Amino acid sequence: MSLSRHTMTPLGARLLVGLGAVLMILPFYVMFVFATHSRTEIFAVPPPLWFGNDLLANFAILTERIPFWRNLGWSLYVALISTALTLLFCSMGGYAFAMFEFRFKKPLFGLVLGTMLLPSFMSMIPSFMIMDLLGWIDQPRALYLPGAASAFGIFLMRQYVSSAVPRELIEAARMDGCSEMGIYARIVLPLLKPALGTLGLIAFIGSWNNFVGPLIVMRTPENFTLPLALRLLQNPVDTEWGALIAGAAIATVPLIALFALASRQLIAGLTAGAVK
Amino acid sequence: MKRVLITPASAPYWLLSPFLILFAVFGLFPLLFSLVLAFSRWEPTSGLGAMEWVGIGNFVFALQDEWFWKSLFNTLWLGVASALPQHLVAIPLACALNGMLQRSRNLLVGVYFMPYITSTVAIAILFSSLFSTDYGLINAAIGALRELPLLSAILPASAIDWLNDPDRLKPAIATVVFWRFVGFNAVLYLAALQTIPRDLYEAATMDGASRWQQFRYITLPGLRAMMLFGITLSIIGSLQLFEEPFILTNGRGGNDQAGMTSAVYLYRLAFDFNDFGAASAMSWLLFALLAMATVATHRAFGEGRKL
Amino acid sequence: MDAKRRAGLGLALAAGLGLWTRSNGGTPPRRLTVAAYPKLDAIVKAALPAWKARHPGVEVEVISREMNDHHTAMITALSTGSHLPDLMALEVGYVGRFSQGRGLLDLRQSPLDGEKLRSRFVPYTWEQAHNHRGELVALPSDIGPGTLLYRHDILQKAGLTEADLTRSWASFLQAGQQIRARTGAYLLAHARDMKDILIRTGVQPGEGLYFSRDNRVLVRSPRFVRAFEMARAVRRAGLDARVYNWSSDWTEGFRRGTIATQMIGAWLAGFLGSWLAPQTRGLWRAAQLPEGAYAAYGGSFYALPAKADPANRILAWDLMQHLTLNRKLLLDAFQAHDIFPALVDTFDDPFFDEPLPFLGGQPARRVWRDAARKITAVAVHRQDGFADEVINTELDKVLLRDKDIGAALADAERLLKLRANR
Repeated sequence: MSLSRHTMTPLGARLLVGLGAVLMILPFYVMFVFATHSRTEIFAVPPPLWFGNDLLANFAILTERIPFWRNLGWSLYVALISTALTLLFCSMGGYAFAMFEFRFKKPLFGLVLGTMLLPSFMSMIPSFMIMDLLGWIDQPRALYLPGAASAFGIFLMRQYVSSAVPRELIEAARMDGCSEMGIYARIVLPLLKPALGTLGLIAFIGSWNNFVGPLIVMRTPENFTLPLALRLLQNPVDTEWGALIAGAAIATVPLIALFALASRQLIAGLTAGAVK
Repeated sequence: MKRVLITPASAPYWLLSPFLILFAVFGLFPLLFSLVLAFSRWEPTSGLGAMEWVGIGNFVFALQDEWFWKSLFNTLWLGVASALPQHLVAIPLACALNGMLQRSRNLLVGVYFMPYITSTVAIAILFSSLFSTDYGLINAAIGALRELPLLSAILPASAIDWLNDPDRLKPAIATVVFWRFVGFNAVLYLAALQTIPRDLYEAATMDGASRWQQFRYITLPGLRAMMLFGITLSIIGSLQLFEEPFILTNGRGGNDQAGMTSAVYLYRLAFDFNDFGAASAMSWLLFALLAMATVATHRAFGEGRKL
Repeated sequence: MDAKRRAGLGLALAAGLGLWTRSNGGTPPRRLTVAAYPKLDAIVKAALPAWKARHPGVEVEVISREMNDHHTAMITALSTGSHLPDLMALEVGYVGRFSQGRGLLDLRQSPLDGEKLRSRFVPYTWEQAHNHRGELVALPSDIGPGTLLYRHDILQKAGLTEADLTRSWASFLQAGQQIRARTGAYLLAHARDMKDILIRTGVQPGEGLYFSRDNRVLVRSPRFVRAFEMARAVRRAGLDARVYNWSSDWTEGFRRGTIATQMIGAWLAGFLGSWLAPQTRGLWRAAQLPEGAYAAYGGSFYALPAKADPANRILAWDLMQHLTLNRKLLLDAFQAHDIFPALVDTFDDPFFDEPLPFLGGQPARRVWRDAARKITAVAVHRQDGFADEVINTELDKVLLRDKDIGAALADAERLLKLRANR
């Protein structure tokens, strides 16, 4: 795609955007620098601004104190399944809310949005009760199944379906004898690709950084996801800051990689979605 | 096999069923539980049997509680101070990004989006260090800018105790919230910009419309739906603001409770101050407020169609 | 409503008793669960081989979470009465809170008969293990006796001796002024430290810190007035560095020698040496707090959840005694993690007399041992956490905005009165 001269961003604005980007990324730089220093150095003032040589030592503490690689793999496993289920269930639900008329539609949608408004820690105890009742304590499904019923996902999908899927297309497909599930799978779903990319990314990040969920249902450190496991390095009076930041930095890498992969897809998908 | 098993009338129920089953179990039950709790007095370590019905007592207490109002004020302050700039910056940012070559655009979108993917553990330690009074990078930067002739007049003369001074804590928190979510909003707006046909701009240029006029009459109306979505999310996010103030104040809400948002207060009330009943009652009051704010936003956007 | 509550309680008790009796004739349990937080988890794990040797065939699972996470998880488990560990560790701040409810087993009942262990533990921590109903809900494992850590070199430079610091609070302040004038160092990290110690001294027997047993609010008592006045005096004389504990400015203050003293738990000496300010080795000394004040900073306990599997109860009680009464185990933990034992039996060990290189060869553990014996317990109130916050806020207003102390304490009282009976 080529940009004509008059839609192109002026140079000044581009410089400003670049400067903003540097500010945005600065804390990440500091994080990776800190990951290579001992906690004694991190707490020095002025703090270190260039890479040190304690990365391996930090890493040794990290892997000694918590089953780090297992936690990382576990986080990945939970996040992938959670994302897949979120995409499936929310696209189906969002499509239903956007394109169909049925009884109790409005109050139901209001109720779904309502759960978004309740702070997550207020549901800690009831969630634990349910997981206990189901026998899901310490099971990964206790993490990815509740997450799949994302009110945000339904909201996003409903918004997108109503703007990106033409009603006439669905009517035409029905005329042609296409089944309802067929319409969803073969016509609606492909049109949702850009929104699926966005929701997928958000769902993945949500699961990856989820802390309250695993705190309630996970018992053994081997089954902890990373945010919960990394906290084991913290102590009110004696935190392994170096190892903690090294762990946090490593935990960020998969997300950055995912975004690097997905962002092109995202932008490409969004552009494709625009050409109706 | 015949294909009429699922009729258009029953299709929405089939489509919704997986979501609704999960929702009923994991979304609805906690909601009902907290509703019961809002009318109860409960010491959780004594078990479920210890729940005691107290009628509207918790709500009466909530409305009398100075700290509830204080936390509400903090929440609104932070909501306005962090959400408004987010959108005011994200929209032009998205426009600027939209007008760039694909390669640099992808890279910059990635950079601006990065704060959104960071874990809170990292944010806590990084910003505590950046905001440090005597040697933090932020104060160092302000110190350097103070050397410039014009800026010295408007910048504070001494180092700022960002995280301990009640008057500075709110701007510090708002900065972190802005940093985390401005890129996310920019991505939302960028997605919406892609749906505006380019030939509209071409035609406008032919007619001699200025950049501002194009922005005003083509871009903004094109972004309307996404603005509604983004602002709704911001309102919900603002009224639930928890992680950033929580980690920046070590879970305490800061000196003079200057960083104690409603969500932080509810958390402390339940888990530190032992009052699950009052916390539930307040979360329902907050809920009502949020619902009203959301409806009001939708009204505003519904009526101001021309924008 | 009360009837409902009583019925529920009765039911729980009946069920508990039923299971209790059943447990006596049942098969021996195979698996115990212990929930703890770092570093207690490491100590439990270290203790297991010796214990398992006495109990062959018993598996022990140690569940570990970050300290706050651990207590949140324990509240959740207690609230629903399921997935409870057989044995749970509790930090001192939470013991008071948890003990107000009915979730922890009263260890006085037979066959446990825990009250007979009274003489084995440091008196104040034994009091902390009891709730307002007089039940014994936990056994103490470690304590944090308060101490005054001070920089010997800075004191010398200022021409002062330890006695100048500790004789009285007035002399402490006076010494602070001399230190500031002659060396430039601050006496304290924060004026709040002064208030914290002073509101803890002179608490009448049966009184809590902020509330009396009968829910009266105590914050307008002379104890608080004095604490606020002294804190303000510190600030007005420019004697505090205005940095909060565990900030990087705090640790840097120690490294650069700009903070001359710190009133805190004895364990800080260990952390200063291991990572907070290792380069200041040999420069520090420990003393008792000024004017014969004693205070506790931290400590941990083990408790048996009332609704945990009763079949495991006797075994869990046995493990709990192993963790709290085993002299060698506690001394090992003291050596490895700077965790001060609550068990009086350990106090005659030569380890207490060893010189500490970080404190310039001072046998400081003796100082802390004396303090441990003299600390008195303070009754806990369920609103203590809230009161802490309110008092700190009002103190800040006094320090930063020059609010009148009487008005500040009156405001605090008003807020606390609204909560006293909640």
